[in-house]
Amino acid sequence: MILTHQQENPIGGTIPNMPSTHAELAKALERLLTPEAVLSGAAAERAYDCDAYTVDRSNPTAVVLPESTEEVAKVVRWCCDNNVPFTARGAGTGLSGGVLAALGGVVISTKRMTRILEIDVENCCLLAQSGIANKRISEAVKQFGLHFAPDPSSQTVSTIGGNIGENSGGPHTLKYGITVQHILGVTLVDPRGEILKLGGKLAGGPGYDFLGLIVGGEGTLGVVTEAWVKLVPVPKAVATALIAYSTIGDATKTVADIIAAGTIPAALEMMDRGILQAVRLAFGLQYPEGAEALLLIECDGEPETVASEMEIVKQICTRNNALEIRVAADEAERAKLWVARKKGIGAMGRIAPSIVTHDGVIPRSKLPEMLEFVYAVAKRQQIGVANLFHAGDGNLHPCFYFDDRDPDQIRRVIEAGEEILTRCIELGGSVSGEHGIGVEKIDLMKLMFAPEDLELQATSKRIFNDAMLCNPCKVLPNQKSCVEHQKRWRGTGW
Amino acid sequence: MNHDLEELTTHCIRCGFCLESCPTFVQTGNEMESPRGRIYLVRSAIGGKLNWQEDVKPHLDLCLGCRACETACPSAVQYGMILEIARDKIEKEKPQRAKDALLAGTTNPTILKTQLALGRLLPGKRVPGLISHLLSGHAAEADRPTPQQEAHFPFLDDKDLPAIKGEVYLLEGCAMKVLYPRVHQVTRRLLRRVGFVVKDVSQGCCGALHAHYGNLTEARKLGERLIKSMPDNLPVIVNSAGCGSTIKEYGHLMDGQSSAEAFAKRTFDVSEFLLANGLIEALQSAKGLNQTATYHDACHLAHGQKIVSQPRELISAIPNLKLVPLNEADMCCGSAGIYNVTQPEMARKLLERKYDNIAQTGASIVATGNPGCHSWIAQAAREHGKKIQVLHTLELLEAAFVGLELFEEKPI
Repeated sequence: MILTHQQENPIGGTIPNMPSTHAELAKALERLLTPEAVLSGAAAERAYDCDAYTVDRSNPTAVVLPESTEEVAKVVRWCCDNNVPFTARGAGTGLSGGVLAALGGVVISTKRMTRILEIDVENCCLLAQSGIANKRISEAVKQFGLHFAPDPSSQTVSTIGGNIGENSGGPHTLKYGITVQHILGVTLVDPRGEILKLGGKLAGGPGYDFLGLIVGGEGTLGVVTEAWVKLVPVPKAVATALIAYSTIGDATKTVADIIAAGTIPAALEMMDRGILQAVRLAFGLQYPEGAEALLLIECDGEPETVASEMEIVKQICTRNNALEIRVAADEAERAKLWVARKKGIGAMGRIAPSIVTHDGVIPRSKLPEMLEFVYAVAKRQQIGVANLFHAGDGNLHPCFYFDDRDPDQIRRVIEAGEEILTRCIELGGSVSGEHGIGVEKIDLMKLMFAPEDLELQATSKRIFNDAMLCNPCKVLPNQKSCVEHQKRWRGTGW
Repeated sequence: MNHDLEELTTHCIRCGFCLESCPTFVQTGNEMESPRGRIYLVRSAIGGKLNWQEDVKPHLDLCLGCRACETACPSAVQYGMILEIARDKIEKEKPQRAKDALLAGTTNPTILKTQLALGRLLPGKRVPGLISHLLSGHAAEADRPTPQQEAHFPFLDDKDLPAIKGEVYLLEGCAMKVLYPRVHQVTRRLLRRVGFVVKDVSQGCCGALHAHYGNLTEARKLGERLIKSMPDNLPVIVNSAGCGSTIKEYGHLMDGQSSAEAFAKRTFDVSEFLLANGLIEALQSAKGLNQTATYHDACHLAHGQKIVSQPRELISAIPNLKLVPLNEADMCCGSAGIYNVTQPEMARKLLERKYDNIAQTGASIVATGNPGCHSWIAQAAREHGKKIQVLHTLELLEAAFVGLELFEEKPI
């Protein structure tokens, strides 16, 4: 088999000693690292052909599992010398195809880079390799009363490197902010294979904020191999309530009223009827008959503050016709509610073989209108939809469920997604809150940004990435050769 | 099993929530060695995109079958079933004689006894290199198992005990019977302490190892025979996690046969049975143990049967004993049936990880509810200088009544 990049070389020209088959490329990488650090062959190509966004699939040529920054740099330099595209990958839990090997080439997995290198309890920060799962950071510093605040629903598995790439959010971002606010510095292997240290143990520093570009750069500006993360104290008191409503309108009105009252809960999450069936089956979550929507609201901080905030929240819920307000009695019940919320989307496999979870943002005031639109689109396209999302941020996650063995259903799911995200833009919102653009939403960037905006972004990208080999065809829609390739990977069914 | 393998695989939506629960993924970082990856490979082979033997088999071989992924999976993907059916399919396509011989040897008490006796004549203490090389291509890691000796326990006097409430069957099993006769002794004693006596019957292997390693036909045959050997409507007590897990799933194995379903329903792990029948109350009058202990979850108890709290509750009830938590308690130790013979390298890595975690607790005793974990962790304890004693959960519980001295390991 001939390498994809030879046929469609992104930057033109060939290099005399460039390996010409998958096997040769794997052999070369084995010589560079060790045979144990390289995966190749049909099964490897298959296992790494997509992440948790399964609509688009594209085989890598080989996968490497380096153990250090230096090894990553070696691989990247080799890729540059040989004109081979490369894509960094963490746990592969992304929802927009951000780690798809769009032009084939080498997938650089960080899953053998999972060590914590330094814990500085006094200064509340920690240095870890980028392949460590988010939750393991909090587990490691629990004994000091600290945790890493960004908590994407995938946090038990998703890596800190992936969280940095996508600038991940999570339920608690409402109060604590998203990943970028919690990253102090990174070690980056840039797209030429140079090792850069951006930021460090201390926040701030003069000059341009390149770190801010890297966080949310979706792995297109280099491979993050290590990160200094901020640790914050675990709140002294926490109260979590589950509130049921008979209409979506009452629930969304509650959200708007809580924020308007000047209360910032730690989390303000909403689930609609579509998701309730799955979470009841999966986690035994109980809710009253006739419930159309549930809110999960958490207040945290000093015990008195928590008590008074929860009181205000309860009053607002009652005023908005809540069917039932249930405050978790103990830590065990609280943990159970959060498992139901965080693993809710994961439970959708009980209902259908495949899902696509969207990630639109809209002004909170437009929530009821937007949800109506989502239901209408799903009905017209004849696909199931469930919603479970960060209501407090106006960050929607319509989750379409369908059978990916049917190409027509895949087509309808893609269409429905585009309709919904287009509507988000029309309502003054965005096509992504935290899942990234990846390959999924690349065509929608043009709807969101003017050509000049996109050009400015492309210029920023070129500061790091002039060869276009580093995670190609992601984020910006203007890379040569990607349009043709999109046809190959889009909507690949079984 | 009439279950449609493809249908079973479609429940995986690739969310990846299983990844960090999978011991082989955590060790290798390789997604082909993760539940999500393996399910994807199986589904791809069903669709003709991959080859069963070359592309899929090596990754299913490296799977421990610990089913920790089932606990992590929000979509209730029946991974254990996918694994067993896929292995059965692969095995039917191309049988592996060495594995069959190992299974037959381990699960037939007569053969096992003979092999162990003969084995003592061989040099070294490991499983013979020939078997190991045939199965894995690697040198052996697992020591040849040494059978436990029966203990001389003090006589149980009926006048100190509650009245007899009823009879139960006790699964004697195959390997368990030969290797851990003392565990059966204490099982009978503890059952009697809560008012139950064992109705002895002639019985055989439950088929668990066969089912786990891709021989569903033989597993079914053995299962049917076992059901016939225990015809009365009495509770079936099992003290080996792997066997209990398989028997509780006989309904699936035998395509929903009502006799299999009914048998499964009256099968209990001994810890859940003793807890439900008042052992905690009985323990209050035990003399207790002045020890620090920790507990390792056997996979087929924690993940296969969702029995996590019951053994801990019982152990915590031992007077004067301090039960300390074990980090990664529910991560497989690498024993996994015959896995430590078929995959010695990975099994060894997981064993060392397990031992490090146990050592860090500072406990002098580790309890567990499965013979495989028992002998494998005991090997690590021997190699690391015998600072930690490995006991079956029931041995620890009986020791609360009669003292630890009877549970010292004596060389044969």
